[in-house]
Amino acid sequence: MNGCEDKIASIELWLDGELSGAESESLRVHMAACAGCSEARRRLEKLQSTLTGVLLSEAQRVDFMPFWRAVQLRVNEKRPWYQDALDWMRGVLPASRVAWVVPAVIVLLLAGVSLESYWRGGAGRNAFATVESIDAYGRNVALLREYDTKTTVIWLYQDQEGENEAAEETAPSGPAF
Amino acid sequence: MKLLKKPPLRVLLFSLLAMLAVAVTGTAQKQPQNVEVRIRAILASNQSDEFDASLKGLEKQLRVLKYRSYRLLNDESQNIPRNGNKVFEIPGGRSLMVAPQEFQDNRIALQVRLTGGQKPLLDTTVRIANKGNFILGGPPHEGGVLVLSISAAMQ
Amino acid sequence: MELTDRELVQQCQAGEMSAFQELVSRYHQKVYMVIFGLLRNREDALEVAQETFFRAYRKISGFQGGSSFYTWIYRIAVNLAIDAQRRQKRNPLDFRESMDGLLESQGEAARDPFADFHDKELREKLTSAINDLTPEHKAVIVLRTIEGLSYKDIGEILGCSEGTVMSRLHYARKKLQDKLSAFL
Repeated sequence: MNGCEDKIASIELWLDGELSGAESESLRVHMAACAGCSEARRRLEKLQSTLTGVLLSEAQRVDFMPFWRAVQLRVNEKRPWYQDALDWMRGVLPASRVAWVVPAVIVLLLAGVSLESYWRGGAGRNAFATVESIDAYGRNVALLREYDTKTTVIWLYQDQEGENEAAEETAPSGPAF
Repeated sequence: MKLLKKPPLRVLLFSLLAMLAVAVTGTAQKQPQNVEVRIRAILASNQSDEFDASLKGLEKQLRVLKYRSYRLLNDESQNIPRNGNKVFEIPGGRSLMVAPQEFQDNRIALQVRLTGGQKPLLDTTVRIANKGNFILGGPPHEGGVLVLSISAAMQ
Repeated sequence: MELTDRELVQQCQAGEMSAFQELVSRYHQKVYMVIFGLLRNREDALEVAQETFFRAYRKISGFQGGSSFYTWIYRIAVNLAIDAQRRQKRNPLDFRESMDGLLESQGEAARDPFADFHDKELREKLTSAINDLTPEHKAVIVLRTIEGLSYKDIGEILGCSEGTVMSRLHYARKKLQDKLSAFL
């Protein structure tokens, strides 16, 4: 039998009708003369015929007309709109093949983060302005940040010659500058 | 209806998602060509308790300054190209030059020069959020002080 | 003269329901065989077999004849059966109950009662052993029972090469023989 291990695959191919005429004939002659291969063939045939017998006998119990009527019912039945979408999704995204969903989710997250940064400080909102440089030409200047309203205020005081603070109730008649 | 084979459809879906992400990211990082700058000149004083209804959108920010009265003097918008500049006339014989510098992370850097007559009063570079603003104030005007709201929006 | 599958498909695409009925008539038992082999439950297999033909009817306008009709319909059937298998909530005990009923119903008085008992036990063991195979191996071994399906056809149905079909069949048969050696 050991010498026939390499023949098992050929016997399976022969059983499945996948060998050429010449190969088939050659194997048939060999099996007639080799007890081991003959036994291997018998076991494979029994395995196949038992399975075929089980399935065939079960299938023969399925009468056509009731089956056809059931198919017709499905064809004529009005399906809810989401059923087709679900069926399509199941076909496109079977549970065992969602490996690409992980990178897709990552891509979506990145897109979301980009969108969020794009809309950050959108209409009406005032995220803090940043003063990067300032030169008041010798005048006093104050920077104010108000956190509730996110307001940045640059306040320019009058120069020394003017002597009047901007916060006084009575302001000078003309501009100080 | 064509019967699409499964693998190309999944590849197509994933490619569309990837392209969408790239497009959105690209849009977010895109350098705009113009900036719309809006200058609102406001008179803040304690001479009355009136609040100009046209300044409703700025009320919370203006109240920070603790004046009792706010009146809109001038409201002007101009489109300024990147690396260009425009001069706004400010009440009281002043002018304000605004030059958009750069755009990064949805923020605009503005170079601003306030001039009184021919004399420069203030030079500053401020980075503000797109569609955001900052307040520049202090110069006395008509019994109160001049307050400027300087806002910018990418175009 | 009997119409070919291709001719029937063309008539279906033209809206002839009778042509589709003929196709169902030709393939309903074989489709059911494949699905039952994968699911091993009668009610589920009937449900999936009916759904297979319903889906085929919905998609028939898009069938371009790149493959034969039967490989196309078996492909739909196998995919639906594998989906149903994942959703199958039945435990192994329920499986044995439905298969026992099946095997009981097949038992006829035999000439040799011991041979009959032996065969029945082989069938029980065989179905249990098939249940232990992976879905891919189960699919090839079940499809191979369908008369007239070549390795090429099976490869088309399962979306794999002939070589893969061959190696999966070899593996599945080896596993089954190892488990059933006392009965073969």
